[in-house]
Amino acid sequence: MGDVSTKISIEHLTYKYPFAKNVSLEDITLSIDAGQSIGIIGRNGAGKSTLCYVLSGLIPRFFHGKITGKVTIDGEDVPTMPVEKLIRKVGLVLQNPFSQISGAKMTVYEEVAFGLENLGIEKDEMHERIDTVLRQFDLYKKKDENPFELSGGQLQRLAIASVLVLKPEILILDEPTSQLDPRGTTEVFETISQLKTLGITILIVEHKFEKLVEYVDKIALLHEGKLLGYDTAEHIFSTSEIETYGVGQPIYTALCKRMGLKKANGYYPVSFGETVALLNGLKGSGMDRRTYNG
Amino acid sequence: MKVLSLYVENDTFIHKLEPITKLLYALISIVITFLFPSIMVGAVFVAFSLLLAISAKVFKRMLLLLNVVLIVLLSMVIIQGLFYRQNVTPAFKLWGLTFYKEGLLYSLLLIVRVVNMIISFGVLILTTRPSDLVDNLVQKGLSPRFGYVLASVLQIIPQMLSTTSTITDAQRSRGLETEGNLFQRFSAFFALLGPLVLNSLVEARERAMAIEIRGFSVEGKRTFVRQIPETKADRWIKISLYVAFIVAVVWRIILWVM
Ligand SMILES: Nc1ncnc2c1ncn2[C@@H]1O[C@H](COP(=O)(O)OP(=O)(O)OP(=O)(O)O)[C@@H](O)[C@H]1O
Ligand SMILES: [Mg+2]
Repeated sequence: MGDVSTKISIEHLTYKYPFAKNVSLEDITLSIDAGQSIGIIGRNGAGKSTLCYVLSGLIPRFFHGKITGKVTIDGEDVPTMPVEKLIRKVGLVLQNPFSQISGAKMTVYEEVAFGLENLGIEKDEMHERIDTVLRQFDLYKKKDENPFELSGGQLQRLAIASVLVLKPEILILDEPTSQLDPRGTTEVFETISQLKTLGITILIVEHKFEKLVEYVDKIALLHEGKLLGYDTAEHIFSTSEIETYGVGQPIYTALCKRMGLKKANGYYPVSFGETVALLNGLKGSGMDRRTYNG
Repeated sequence: MKVLSLYVENDTFIHKLEPITKLLYALISIVITFLFPSIMVGAVFVAFSLLLAISAKVFKRMLLLLNVVLIVLLSMVIIQGLFYRQNVTPAFKLWGLTFYKEGLLYSLLLIVRVVNMIISFGVLILTTRPSDLVDNLVQKGLSPRFGYVLASVLQIIPQMLSTTSTITDAQRSRGLETEGNLFQRFSAFFALLGPLVLNSLVEARERAMAIEIRGFSVEGKRTFVRQIPETKADRWIKISLYVAFIVAVVWRIILWVM
């Protein structure tokens, strides 16, 4: 890829839901480069979904309330951008795959067409785009089936396909795997890694850290509406405070912290691969073999 | 999970007609049978509607639909035959009850009207994908919002029925009474309503957000992935229906004035 440019810029964003006592986002400032994938983590009520809604324009269009600060995509103000335009920039996938299908369409094919119909895309282009995403998401064989008859993983892929068919430059996924079994989860993450290669900017809220860290460039840590960290996974999870925010950490990091195993750069490993590499290195350097070989 | 639907997929002439043409036939044939208090007129429409059902190869399904109202139709015969206000001429006696000619004829009139209503709408419903009907109406100027509500109701009712059976199963396995006498089943039904409604409310909000994200509220020209073409046949049928309707109305007014 050529120049790295800022895709999303958030400055001093604060937001309070109508009738809420406290703000749900407080003075958030961060910027995301084009083509990056960002993980958003934080415990329940941290404001992760709320941030997703701001970036996708649901706040303030769907949820009103008081929003201050500046949010821009490609330099353009998000809260005031015309919907037609914003939809072509940002796609949002929600947690429950079942409630994301329009519920008004009788086949997978027509479900994917829903957004294109709303935007008035011409018929030829519509068919072309739908065929492409259905193949991309391995749903082509299911195209004549009723969406309600799909499995959870298939349904979530359908939800992602229905959003991506609008060709957004940014895709936001809010806990896309929380309702899925391990197989469905793998399906979704494989999809995400495909999208990365297409240069799409990705934001993903996810609690399955072991998976998450393999796919994201950076992690944003939210806590009670505030952004407490925005850095690579090893930076975020190596801090000792991480445990006090109640978000947990990858099992591998916890293990290595317990054993006092750090990588050469001074940070703890976060992924399976890194941990294995580290342990293999120790083995080579003559540590107790029985411990690791069994 | 199998989604229930009345629609019978097939490739007949009737299936290929525009949904609106079929809707128009149903509406106009019903209006005409109600305009004329004549068993003959009703019978002609019943016969014609049946012909449509047969040529659309949905005759068997149609019998199932008619079966549902059989009891209602039978009770009409009994009630009108016995108690119709203008009853004077006895027709026959059964178990000591006298049935009258006027009442029986009147019930026959009601029956042909109701049967035509069921068959003509049945042809529409059994041969048309619900979403095609809605798309067709939206193409003809129905508000997309209303169209969406209509389409999702048509989709979600069968869906709710399967959810209902899922929840019924779940509750039965927890010992809730889903069989037994009417009262037991009635209270079981209300116990079921709670989770169903709550579920639907949460889902409704998320669904509203999800369709918002996919441009549902974008103003401007929409396109349709399934454009339903208006064929020559559609145009001719519609013109004939309008003519039949006007003739019927005029004729009725003349009869009424004379
Ligand atoms: N519609 C709403 N009205 C008022 N307050 C809300 C609304 N939605 C969320 N909140 C509040 O805003 C805060 C942040 O909520 P948010 O849903 O963004 O959290 P989250 O990080 O996504 O949590 P979770 O992990 O449970 O999804 C919470 O305190 C929540 O109670
Ligand atoms: Mg959330």
